[in-house]
Amino acid sequence: MIIFDIFIALLLAAGCVFLLGGALGILRMPDFYTRLHGASLLDTIALVCLLSASILYVLTRHPDVNGLITSLKIILIAVFVFITSPTATHAIADAGRRAGLKPWTRQNEEESP
Amino acid sequence: MKKLALILCLFAGGLLLMNAHYLPMWGDPASPASTHVSPYFIENAYEHTKTPNMVAVVLADYRSYDTMFEAAVVLAAGFACFFLLRSRARGKKGGHHYYRHIPTGVTIKIEEGGKLPAENSKVFRSIDALWTPYDPIIQTTCRCLIPFLQIYSLYVLAHGHYSPGGGFQAGVVLGATIILLAISHNLKTSLKRMSERTAALWSIIGVFIFAGTGLLCLLLGMDYLNYEVLAPLLLSDEAMARSHSILIVEVGVTMAVMAVMVWIYYNLSSAGQQDEGL
Repeated sequence: MIIFDIFIALLLAAGCVFLLGGALGILRMPDFYTRLHGASLLDTIALVCLLSASILYVLTRHPDVNGLITSLKIILIAVFVFITSPTATHAIADAGRRAGLKPWTRQNEEESP
Repeated sequence: MKKLALILCLFAGGLLLMNAHYLPMWGDPASPASTHVSPYFIENAYEHTKTPNMVAVVLADYRSYDTMFEAAVVLAAGFACFFLLRSRARGKKGGHHYYRHIPTGVTIKIEEGGKLPAENSKVFRSIDALWTPYDPIIQTTCRCLIPFLQIYSLYVLAHGHYSPGGGFQAGVVLGATIILLAISHNLKTSLKRMSERTAALWSIIGVFIFAGTGLLCLLLGMDYLNYEVLAPLLLSDEAMARSHSILIVEVGVTMAVMAVMVWIYYNLSSAGQQDEGL
């Protein structure tokens, strides 16, 4: 059981590191699109880590039908986030492109703040 | 006038602040609410109503007057938006309009003051001024998600007796699905599925279900919203009658909240024109 606990702790720590990286990306990236990129991808992978940690926790603590149903519900959350999160990112990036926001390059760095 | 309002606000606020220290401390075990109000609910809620979720019991049974007038306030907000924003001048807004000539597929831009085609024209179909080419990714995702969201909202409504949830939350989720349809497609698609008339009717029917349940209790010779007297109608004993009545009034709240959200969105997003929205 201690092996599972260590594994859960590692997954939780990895999730927190990814979330921290996403937050840093939002603060440090140079423009809208790169910030969106950091936020969406790292949030999704952090969610995978955290949800798999919680699935493992539930299954090790309650190895019966109830635990199985709970972990299925958690998997359902992951599935819906996997569908909706890229769509939302796509919609936001698309809106930015339609509104005429140019992606950042080293050439136009001086023009745009 | 503004100064008078400011003085009145400061006076009322100061009065409240001056007397604030008479209130019991937050979480004080010796306060009247903790000594005899909460223990009564905690000890008797399940016995009275056979409903494990105490919050739902307090919301829809012990304090049902409060909830009924909350639903009425939501309805009043919908009416306020309607009377403030709705204009009868359909399609008469300023700026240019876009029309599609259906036989040829040509998009026509009509400048301000130009002659517009008839409303029910079979040849020309109006499209939104902020029209963007439809995005298959967003449309498909939203079309796949909306049924799941609606089923989930019904689950939140029906499971309010056992877990956090209930009428208001279910209504918000259900209304959000209609708004999602309007955002991902356009306002016309959403209006075709749920017209403004339907939204207005649903919001009124929702409040009426709540108030009607109370009135039925009154007609059967009990206090207003005292559900115990409905037991013979619901084919159950008194405790189960209260449990069932909680579900009935929650359905009313869900209908009212959902319809009012959609109604307010229709009026706000199109500035009361209800032809072109976000």
